[in-house]
Amino acid sequence: MSGANFLNKYELTSNTWDEMFSTEHNIRAPYQKVIDYLSKESIDDLNKKEELAKRLFMSQGITFTVYNSGEGIEKIFPFDIIPRIITASEWTFIEAGIKQRLKALNIFLKDIYSNMFIVKDGIIPIDMIYSCPHFLREMFNVAVPYDIYVHIAGIDLIRDSDGTYYVLEDNLRTPSGVSYMLENREITKRLFPDLLPQCRVRSVTEYPGILYKNLLAISPRQISNPNIVLLSPGVYNSAYFEHTTLARLMGVELVEGRDLMVDNHKVYMKTTNGRQQVDVIYRRVDDEYLDPLVFNPGSILGVAGLMSAYRKGNVAIVNAVGNGVADDKAIYSYVPDMIKYYLNEEPLLKNVPTYQLGNQEHKEYVFENIQTMVVKKTNGSGGYGMLMGYAASDSEIAAYKEEILKDPRQFIAQPTISLSAAPCYMNGSLMPRRIDLRPFALCGPNGIEIVPGGLTRVALTEGSMVVNSSQGGGSKDTWVLAS
Amino acid sequence: MLSRVAANLYWLSRYVERSDGILRMMKINYASSQDSIHEFTWRPVIKLYTKLEDEDIEKIEHNSRDVLLYMIAGKENPNSIINMITFARENARSVQDHITKDLWQCLNEYYHLIKDNKLISYLKKDDPISALDILIRQGMLYCGTAEVTMERGEGSSFMNIGKYLERSIQSADILDVKFGTINNDPDLLTDTSYWKHLLLSLGGYELYLKTYRQGFEAENVLELVVLNNDFPRSVLYSVNHISSYLERLRVNNNLSEIKEISILIGRLESRIKYSTLQSIREEGMHPYLYSIKKDLYSIGDALNIQYFAYS
Repeated sequence: MSGANFLNKYELTSNTWDEMFSTEHNIRAPYQKVIDYLSKESIDDLNKKEELAKRLFMSQGITFTVYNSGEGIEKIFPFDIIPRIITASEWTFIEAGIKQRLKALNIFLKDIYSNMFIVKDGIIPIDMIYSCPHFLREMFNVAVPYDIYVHIAGIDLIRDSDGTYYVLEDNLRTPSGVSYMLENREITKRLFPDLLPQCRVRSVTEYPGILYKNLLAISPRQISNPNIVLLSPGVYNSAYFEHTTLARLMGVELVEGRDLMVDNHKVYMKTTNGRQQVDVIYRRVDDEYLDPLVFNPGSILGVAGLMSAYRKGNVAIVNAVGNGVADDKAIYSYVPDMIKYYLNEEPLLKNVPTYQLGNQEHKEYVFENIQTMVVKKTNGSGGYGMLMGYAASDSEIAAYKEEILKDPRQFIAQPTISLSAAPCYMNGSLMPRRIDLRPFALCGPNGIEIVPGGLTRVALTEGSMVVNSSQGGGSKDTWVLAS
Repeated sequence: MLSRVAANLYWLSRYVERSDGILRMMKINYASSQDSIHEFTWRPVIKLYTKLEDEDIEKIEHNSRDVLLYMIAGKENPNSIINMITFARENARSVQDHITKDLWQCLNEYYHLIKDNKLISYLKKDDPISALDILIRQGMLYCGTAEVTMERGEGSSFMNIGKYLERSIQSADILDVKFGTINNDPDLLTDTSYWKHLLLSLGGYELYLKTYRQGFEAENVLELVVLNNDFPRSVLYSVNHISSYLERLRVNNNLSEIKEISILIGRLESRIKYSTLQSIREEGMHPYLYSIKKDLYSIGDALNIQYFAYS
C-alpha cells in the first residue's frame, strides 16, 4: 500500500480546526511538501521510521522513569513523526502576542512586589493577590537584576474551532519541555533527510546560546567569568534529562542542593578544589523547596540560606522567586487588563473566558453549566486535579463540587475549548489528535527573544483534550517556516 | 569540579572495571568447567565476589548456569553485573554533562543490553560464552570510547584513578585467594591448569609464555601479576597509573591537604617497585599482598576525605 492511500482514510473531527486539512481532501498549502514526501514512502518505511525514532530516543536515554514495585521502568516521551507546521505570518502574530504578554507580566511582578499600583488603581482586587499561595511576602522589595522576574516563559497556546489562537495558561515558574523541542528536531533530521531545508524550516538551535547569554548578563558580580549553575532536584526528577541537556548545551555546571552552601550571604559550590562562589542559579527546583530556612523546612533539595543571599543581591536566581502569583489561574483572567494598564495596548492574544469560583455569581453560573466547563485548580499544573465537565460522571461532579466549596478561591472554570487537531501517524494510518503549542520565550536585559519553534504536545488518546505528558500526552516536532 | 561529580565519575569507572574483571573471570572458569574430569567447583569465585553464606554456596557451586545467572543477573547480589551496570549508569546519568555523549550512550546501551531477555536466555539454555562475550565486548567499547572521546581534564583523571585502583585491588585479591588455596592443597602448586586459568582470567597468559620459558611456577606468576610493569593488569602498572593521575590532579589543586594522598601513593609505589621475589618470600606472600591491599584501601579513603567528602 502506498502512502497516498492512508491519507484517504483520514476523517476530520467536527467543530474542530484541523492543522493539515481544510476539508476532507484539501491539504493546507504548508503541509503539501510533507504529504508529497510521505506519499513516496510505503507503510513499511514509515513504520521503520517510527521504530528508528523510538530507538534513537531510547539509546540517547531521552526517557523518563516510572517507578513501579521498586523497579524503575524507562519510558520514552511518545513522539509522533508527522511535524506540526506554523506559517511565517502566524508566527509573526504569535511572537508579537507573547512578547506583549510577557512584557506586561514582568512589569506586573515588579509592581506587585513593590508599589502595587495595579491594586491601588483598582484593576485587580487585593484579595486576589493575598489569597494566592504563590504570592511570597519574602519577595517584597527585593531588587532583582534589570527588574526581570520571568527569564524563561512557556506560554501555552491553543486554537479554537475557527483557528484563532488563545492563551491557555502562562507558565512563569519553571516551564519544562524545551529539551524536547531541541531533540525532536534532531530526530526529524534523521527521519526525513532533506525535508527540512526543502520546506525552509527555521532552526531552533539558538535556544541554549540565547539563554546562556542572558544568564551571563544578570550576574551580580561584574567579572569576566561568572559562575553559572543549573540547580536540579536530581536524577529522580522526571525532567532530569532536560536539566542535563541544557547544562551540557550551555556548558554550565549541573548542581544539586547538596553541592551548594551559603556562607556570609554568598553562595558557594563544593568542588575538588575547595569552594567557589556562584553568581547565577538557573534553578529547576520549585520555590517551596528552594530554602529550608524560609520555605518548606523539610526540603533537602534546596540550599539553607539561599534566600538571604538572594535578597542581598549576591546571587541571581532564574526564574525569580515568587513568580507563581503571575501564572496563577485566577490572576490569568486579569492579564488582558494588565496589558491595557501597563502598556496601554490592546492584547493581541486572546484569553479563554474564565470564571472565578471565588465570585458568587460566577460560581452559580458554573455549577449550572458544569457539563460544558473545564474546572481547574488555580495553582495546579501537569493536568492534575482537573474536572472535564463533558466527560465526568454525575458522582464525580458532585464530589468535585464539594471540593470546590471548601475553598472556592482555589478554583476557576473555563468553557470547554475544542483544541485544534493534527494528524498523527498511528498503526499505519493518520488519525486526528488534539494538540497545543508551547513556545519558549527568553527575557534578558536586551529584550525578549523567542526561538522560532516550540513544543507541540499531543493528546494521544482518541477524543482526549489533555495533552500533559503525565496524562498520556506525546509531542511533535514544531516547524516555523521562513517567510 | 564539583566533589559530587568527581565521586560519581570515580565510582562509575570502578563499577565498569569490576564488571569487566568479573566477566573475564567467569568466562575462563566456565570454559574450565567444560574441561574438567572432576566435578568443577565455583566456590573460590563465589567467595571472592559475593557475600553468599556457605550453605547457599553449596546449593549452586557445581551448577555453572546457576552461578552465572546469580553473578550476572542476580538482583539480590550487590556485585552482580546487572546491579553494577545499573549503578554505573545512575552515576553517569547524574554527571551527563561531564562525560561525552558517546560515552553516555555506550553505558546506556550496556544497561539496555544486560536488561535484554535474549541475554538471559543465552545464560539459561544456549551458550553462556555468547552472553559473556557480548558483555565483555560492550565493556571494551566503553574503555575505547572513554579513551577516544573524553577530554583529559580532572574528570578523566578521577575516572582513571577509579579504574586502576579497582584493577589493582582485583589483581591483588585474585592472587591472594589463589595462593591461599594452595596452602590448603599443596598439590595445586604443580597443577599446570591451575596457573593457566589464573593467567587467562587476568589476560596475562600470553605474556607469561613469552616471559618465562620453563613452564608454570608459582613465583613467576607472582612476579608477573605484581611486579611486571609491562603487564596492564599488574599491581605495579596500575599503581603507577594511579600515581600519575593523582599527580595531575595535585598540580592544579590549591588545597594544602592534598599532599597527604601524594605521600600515601608514593610510599606504596616505592614499596612495590623495590620488592623482589626474595624480599616477598622473606616477608611471606599473604602478609605482603595483604599490606598492599590495605594501602590501596587507604588511598580510597583518602580520596573520599580530600576530594569527595561533603562537609
